[in-house]
Amino acid sequence: MAKRKRDLTMEQQLARGPMDLPFLMLVLLLTGIGVVMVFSASYATAYYEGRDPAFYFLRQALFAGAGLAIMYVISKINYETFRWLSVFALGLAILLLIAVLIPGIHTDRADNVRRWIAVPGLGTFQPSEIAKVAVIMYFSARLSKRNTEKPIRLSPRSNLSGIVGWLDRIGFLELVPYGVILLIILFLMKLEPHMSGTILILAGAAAVLFAAGIKLYWFILGGGGAAALLLLSMQGYQSTRILVWQDPWAYKQDGGYQIIQSLYAIGSGGLLGLGLGKSRQKFLYLPEPENDFIFAIVCEELGYLGAAIVILLFVLLIIRGYWLAVHARDRFGALLVVGITTLLAVQVFLNISVVTNLLPTTGISLPFFSYGGTALMIQLAEMGMVLSVSRQIPAPRQE
Amino acid sequence: MAYRKKNREIRQQPDRRANRTILIRTLILMGIFGLAVFVPLFFRLWQIQIEEYDKYRELVADQQTKDSTVEANRGTIYDSTGTPLALSATVYNVQLSPKEIIQCQKEYQEKVENALKNDKDPPDYPEPTAQFIAENLAEILDLEVDDILARLAKENSLYEMIKWRVEAEESDAVQAFITENHISGIYLMPTSKRYYPKGSLAAQVIGWFNPNVGEGAYGVEALYEEELSGETGRVVTAKNGVGTEMLYWFEDYYDATDGDSLTLTIDATIQSFCESILKKGVEQFDVQDGGFCIAMDPNTGEILAWANSPTYDLNDPWGVTDPVLSAYLESVKNDPSASEEAYTQALQDTQLQQWRNKAINDTYEPGSTFKSMVLAAALEEGVVTESDHFYCSGSTRVEGWYRPIYCSETKGHKDQDLAKAVANSCNPAFIEIGQRLGAEKFYDYLEDFGFLELTGIDMQGESTGVIWSRDAFNNVNLATASFGQRFNVTPIQLITAASAVINGGHLMQPYVVSQVTDADGNVVQHTEPTQVRQVVSEQTSERCRAILEKVVDGGTGKNAAVEGYRIGGKTGSSETLKGEGHTIVSFLGFAPADDPQVVILLAYDSPKPASPGADVTAGGWYISGGNMAAIMAGELLENILDYMGVEKTYSATADVLVPNVTGLSLSSATSALKKNNLTLRTVGDGDTVTGQIPAQGASIPGGSEVVLYMGEEVPTDQVQVPNVVGLTLEQAQKKMEEAGLYLKASGATDYGTSTAYEQETASGTLVDRGTAIEVRFTDSTASGAGL
Repeated sequence: MAKRKRDLTMEQQLARGPMDLPFLMLVLLLTGIGVVMVFSASYATAYYEGRDPAFYFLRQALFAGAGLAIMYVISKINYETFRWLSVFALGLAILLLIAVLIPGIHTDRADNVRRWIAVPGLGTFQPSEIAKVAVIMYFSARLSKRNTEKPIRLSPRSNLSGIVGWLDRIGFLELVPYGVILLIILFLMKLEPHMSGTILILAGAAAVLFAAGIKLYWFILGGGGAAALLLLSMQGYQSTRILVWQDPWAYKQDGGYQIIQSLYAIGSGGLLGLGLGKSRQKFLYLPEPENDFIFAIVCEELGYLGAAIVILLFVLLIIRGYWLAVHARDRFGALLVVGITTLLAVQVFLNISVVTNLLPTTGISLPFFSYGGTALMIQLAEMGMVLSVSRQIPAPRQE
Repeated sequence: MAYRKKNREIRQQPDRRANRTILIRTLILMGIFGLAVFVPLFFRLWQIQIEEYDKYRELVADQQTKDSTVEANRGTIYDSTGTPLALSATVYNVQLSPKEIIQCQKEYQEKVENALKNDKDPPDYPEPTAQFIAENLAEILDLEVDDILARLAKENSLYEMIKWRVEAEESDAVQAFITENHISGIYLMPTSKRYYPKGSLAAQVIGWFNPNVGEGAYGVEALYEEELSGETGRVVTAKNGVGTEMLYWFEDYYDATDGDSLTLTIDATIQSFCESILKKGVEQFDVQDGGFCIAMDPNTGEILAWANSPTYDLNDPWGVTDPVLSAYLESVKNDPSASEEAYTQALQDTQLQQWRNKAINDTYEPGSTFKSMVLAAALEEGVVTESDHFYCSGSTRVEGWYRPIYCSETKGHKDQDLAKAVANSCNPAFIEIGQRLGAEKFYDYLEDFGFLELTGIDMQGESTGVIWSRDAFNNVNLATASFGQRFNVTPIQLITAASAVINGGHLMQPYVVSQVTDADGNVVQHTEPTQVRQVVSEQTSERCRAILEKVVDGGTGKNAAVEGYRIGGKTGSSETLKGEGHTIVSFLGFAPADDPQVVILLAYDSPKPASPGADVTAGGWYISGGNMAAIMAGELLENILDYMGVEKTYSATADVLVPNVTGLSLSSATSALKKNNLTLRTVGDGDTVTGQIPAQGASIPGGSEVVLYMGEEVPTDQVQVPNVVGLTLEQAQKKMEEAGLYLKASGATDYGTSTAYEQETASGTLVDRGTAIEVRFTDSTASGAGL
């Protein structure tokens, strides 16, 4: 028997507040457009693979439906619950990142990359997707309580007290747990290897750390360190990416093909595009048109106008996300939404930049658009968290 | 209590400063990730989609479409009667796709395996091994087995062309082979090939299609390239990333427009007459540098025939078949001192020589044939009349020239009237006529007759003549020009001008293409006879015709005479720049003299003298227009006039048709024969004619005797043709009669000095009794005749 409203605690009542409608509408709109575009972009691929042309579309639509349901359910949860859940989420993420390295669990690929775990009935998913959201959740939860964290108190007579005191003052000690977690994840991801996933996790974590008020010089230091690492890893395979990026036509056979085809698709779209469903580049020219390069097909079919509208929708969603963060009931909610929103923004930006050859190729998919059931579900679950935070906004802010 | 504690641990504690930090930093993040980072994306997309749109659209169109050409059929070239002279037919290129053949072989093996597994019969056709394919194709296409095997060994190749332009017989055989043996990977790709059904006929006028460059070379094939070639069509289909056509996606079809057809003014029959007479003369007179023969309708300027020697087969333009040229090539080949390059060079030279149209590319000294124009000018200007007399002492002096100028008749023609002077082709007389005209007037006529301009004929490479400028045209030049020497004109200029002399004074623009019709038969272009200008009056022209007829009727051109036809003309012999022993002998002729239907210009370049400096050939022919070109021209004109159906003018000996008198009484038979200008002799004494020789419908000379059998059996035996060459007309006639045959004389028959030089049916041939044997006579006694 359902409790009547007045029987509920204040928090329970808060959690039943209305979802933020603009945010919800934007999510639904993008998901809808995304699924339609998957249909358009994938049917040639499906046809040439000997499948039903609607194969990818049906699967994606199914996952989108399930994802929306999950989003709704999550939005109903009082997000305060995620505080303690975050610990388990992080633990689970690290476990999965370890598991994916074990032969037999990850999917077999010719290039020996171990990023995917097969789940019967669902297809495959990347543990890094879970790691992304887990890191944001955990960091938000922990950082929202920064002000109450007790400093380590060593005996003033200890030899280390001076240095510890200094480290504490510059804020280093506070960062140690976050650093350790990130290093563990970085290390595991390096073993997969999964460069783009790593970038996204770092971006999400950095956003939360930044918003929480960590001193700026740590970001300068961290950014410098990351850049140095990037330069170090820029040998061999990675460096040819830079060359291809600079002039794809010079490396037609060595990796330039996909980006050239992507540019062909985008360029031939023109102002108004060829019309929905009328892409020609999807006919075995552009590899994986339904996946990372789906935005090229959007550009080809819907033209500059269509592509601009899609980007605009993303921008609106992102701004609305930050607006929600600003108005969130507490710091945890704010940090959580900032993390998720920034992650989304970075992902959209990187994907479109890659597709338009503004940046070197990395395997980052476009949220709501790229084909991939589990990724879409996780994406929608994240949106669910944002919506959950949004439910408590009407309540007076807690100081 | 526990709740509170738990709450404190999990819950954050109020912190105004921290909240403020989060607010500010979130707003910073919103500025960066909500706005700043997306700005470059809009610009980047604008750059690709709007600014570089054209570039990408083009690149993509190239990539996404398969553009196949649809060849247009090349237009047909017809002669004036509708006989095709050049046409295109579909032939096939045989192409192998080794990759697909290997696939086909794999499939065969799979079928065999499956059959073994399932205990079924293997395929009932042989295995398509490379060896099997190569052997069969080599046999069908006449290729080397090893070559085909080498091509098949290129495993990844999709296109290996093994033979080009294979005709129906071979392509059908290949198709049958493919079908019978279920082979995939052998393709017959349609393409077209140009055929010239008449071989070498009018070669230089038609020109040929060069498949290596896909364009016409020489002649109207080149000149009318644009009209003939039509427009290549295109089929643009979408293809996917691996090159497969996607027909359902889109297909743009640009129709090929077939080429236009040409109708020439050339008449294949007249052309063949001209060519055979040219060939005959070249052989008979040991002609070294070929010749040309143009037949034209003087009233319209239509070129009826245009023959060149040496010539070649249009179906094999690189092949050298002309006997003179081949002999030359052979000599270079067998010359031990000549290098390989020398032979290649010689081959190229001879090819160029046979391809060129001498009668328009080259110029020559017209010689005495030019006197026709001088005559017309003088009559038009009224400086001479038919009653004028000229005295020829054998030479004459011209003011400004230190030596006398000689006549061809060194003894002199003595006194002669105008017609006689023309008939004699007397140089001193013409020098005088020229002087009477004066340099200015003379030069005006050079211009009016079109010698200083192109005729404008629709033929490639027309040259202009080499003639003095008006300022340089002095008295001496006037003198030599008066008898057609020391300047050069093209043969086409000469025949065009000559037409104006005889056709009523109209200088016509000559042409060879009368009509251009498109593939649907619509007339695209029709050439109407175009008069360039009126040069002389109708009356002058008539007087010229009469005078020029006398050239053939008793003058230097008498060898061109044909019984029953009124032929006019002018002979010509001229030295060429090649010097001693190189004379161009020519004859300008037209018929009928009173109403010219055809004008011809026949010339042989350099008959070989029997010995250096001699004026006769090894065959005993006196080297002159009258003794060479005129004889040939007579035969030619007779053929042409017969073919054109020009009615013969009645004369005592004109050919008549033998009527049927069998079954009639003697008296009615006699009157019937008499009506047809025939005499008779009877054999037997019956009342009724039971048989006759020759039979009804035979054509025999008028006045001949028909033998009527009155009850007697008509002899059916054959008789031997006697040899009459070298005999006079009377002697020949007698000999023929003795043999029971009729003599059909042509050429210069009216002169006591004429002798037969050729008989149509060789002596010793068995022919039916009463057959008419054609014998050609020539009068070569008059020295210098025919200059």
